[in-house]
Amino acid sequence: MSSELVLKNVDKIYGAGAVHAVKDLSFAVKPGEITALLGSSGCGKTSTLRMIAGFETLTNGSIELDGRPIHMLPPAQRGVAMAFETYSLYPPLTIAENISFALKAQKLGSQDVNKRVKDMAELLEISDVLNKYPSSVSGGQQQRASLGRALVRKAGLYLLDEPMGQLEPQLRAVLRGRIKHYLREHDCTTILVTHDQTEANALADRIAVMEGGVLQQYATPAELKVRPANLFVGTFIGEPPMNVFPVQVKDDGKTVDFAIEGSGGQSLSYAAADFSQTLRNRLKSETALMLGVRPHAVRIGKQGLKARVVTCQWLGDQTHIASEIAGRTVVSVSHEQIAAKPASEVFLGIEPGDLHIFSSGNGAAIAHGAQLV
Amino acid sequence: MPHLELASISKAFKTNKVLDDISLTADAGEIVVIFGPSGTGKTVLLRLIAGVEEPTSGTISVDSQDMADVAPEHRDVGMAFQNFALFPHLNAFENIASPLRARSQSDAQVKSGVGRVAKLLKIDHVLGHAPRQLSNGQKQRTALARALASSPKLLLLDDPLRNVDAKLRFEMRLELPRLLRQAKSTVLYVTQDYKEAMALADRIAVLAEGRFIQIATPADIYRNPATVGVARLFGDPTINLAETTIGADGSIELAGEKVAIDKSYGIFAGKNVSFGVRPEAVEVMNGRGAGLKAQVMAVTPLNERTVLLLQTKAGAELLASLPSSSASIPKAENEVTIAFNPAGTHLFDRETGAALARGRA
Repeated sequence: MSSELVLKNVDKIYGAGAVHAVKDLSFAVKPGEITALLGSSGCGKTSTLRMIAGFETLTNGSIELDGRPIHMLPPAQRGVAMAFETYSLYPPLTIAENISFALKAQKLGSQDVNKRVKDMAELLEISDVLNKYPSSVSGGQQQRASLGRALVRKAGLYLLDEPMGQLEPQLRAVLRGRIKHYLREHDCTTILVTHDQTEANALADRIAVMEGGVLQQYATPAELKVRPANLFVGTFIGEPPMNVFPVQVKDDGKTVDFAIEGSGGQSLSYAAADFSQTLRNRLKSETALMLGVRPHAVRIGKQGLKARVVTCQWLGDQTHIASEIAGRTVVSVSHEQIAAKPASEVFLGIEPGDLHIFSSGNGAAIAHGAQLV
Repeated sequence: MPHLELASISKAFKTNKVLDDISLTADAGEIVVIFGPSGTGKTVLLRLIAGVEEPTSGTISVDSQDMADVAPEHRDVGMAFQNFALFPHLNAFENIASPLRARSQSDAQVKSGVGRVAKLLKIDHVLGHAPRQLSNGQKQRTALARALASSPKLLLLDDPLRNVDAKLRFEMRLELPRLLRQAKSTVLYVTQDYKEAMALADRIAVLAEGRFIQIATPADIYRNPATVGVARLFGDPTINLAETTIGADGSIELAGEKVAIDKSYGIFAGKNVSFGVRPEAVEVMNGRGAGLKAQVMAVTPLNERTVLLLQTKAGAELLASLPSSSASIPKAENEVTIAFNPAGTHLFDRETGAALARGRA
């Protein structure tokens, strides 16, 4: 039942060329795969979703479901179940009727319908409001009901637009887990649109990161973190965000030295043997680079960059430490509870395997760890 | 001697009692975070201290002086709000200068005063801009600069990071402690974000239904929550809770399955409790050793941690949170054995919600 979705060279231009919202977008979602479209507002993710749903026409390109072009079909004929922020519940129907309404077309017996509605309501923690009308339940409950209405259907493709934006924090983690389990158990091909990277990371098998109408990278959450394609993805994905420094690189045959600009002459030095020969050759042609390091890879110890602690904050399950190197803030995160006194001196160690090297021109990734991209 | 003292403050609007007999002290230079869900009276409390509302009963003293008859403009209070509340017709410089001008400072004093805080908040390059030309982050920094400009003895910050995006909020969270230390003001800081509260506070006062349910350091609030309500408000994912009855050997039942926890819990044998265990205190082992068996229902990464939704054989749901760098993160559908680190387990009275005990590490 689950389908494969393929977008080929999709463009969306609004108002006679005035706004190029989606540019030459191609990607595929495998049967049963959960894909997140992630980006900030205006990145083109919502236009993309609306084109897949059939609420917008394509300017160029095609959208295929199981090899069948669907972009010319009206929304109702696309076999797509939707939970949209703006696609609201029917006000004159109760929450239970709203959810079961989606099952009418499937010609199920009333006992079967009732059971499915009951199970879905339990999964989404809305059993106690099933007999209420949408106007008398909270925004978070309406959102869950709308999600339930989409998930209870059998469809080739599920489109979920910011499905958990209003979820109460106490429910968020459990519902993410249950929904992910449900989607996998029912082999649902799913596209999730969100601006919230924690939601995308929690739920998606692969994430399509969009910015300025352009697909920046389409990869698993782990891959996005370890091998970001460019500086945008590197700094967009990850919380707290990646530390980035402009550096000058020097290689004297024995050591590879990254001098951090504006740090009063401090540099990160590594044995040349830590880097592959091809990477060292490449770095010779690039003098000015951007060096990225994830906060978890910055280790506070006895060696490394000399820095002064600005703040040390323990959040229950992790410690965030901000320190400064000549006015530049470096963030370090540890799973342990660490005490570092503000204004004290610390040394920040960074392993060569944790370096991300980007071109300072176009921001494209040159190397992750000690290996060339 | 505390700098600020609230003694038995109540505030009612007609018959609606918003604050009910609350007391709090803050030392000079201390940062006290007022934390609680929306609608609990946090903003009303700040307005009482600022003097724009009067308490129905109780006293507010600063340096032992009762503030009841002191007009707002003479209270030496700086304020910043979540909606920024900048004067739209004044540029950033004049917005920041407004409290200084209100004190009839000379132009030279105003200029150096504004320059100092603007530099601190990294907005010295946009001082000539009107509010509408500023980004949200710059607006929020301008509002903070205005609150700090007159070096007030008392700084009241009403959820100032509410309307800025996640990245900026994080940046400001790291910067604020130093700014506030330099200002040397006593700070009351209102937020609904537990991470912000833990990151910034010397002490956190948890407000719910018009009362403080706990006033303590961030570490104490997290490790020794006074009630089940406080325990639920701190932590991501939130604490696992199960209603159970304690056995003679200190064991509990999860969905009917007996689980050994901590022998010291035996003194509560027969008592109806809510058992709580923080997700990071749920230890997950791949082996088939003795212990509670569970199935991994879903694996949901959360930043550098991995959250697992687990279901025990008997059907109880539990969340576990492990560092993603852990040697062996199980996969969905895997069978695992779980144990609870006693230091992260809590017992609460099921009737009152009050904490009874915490497990021993």
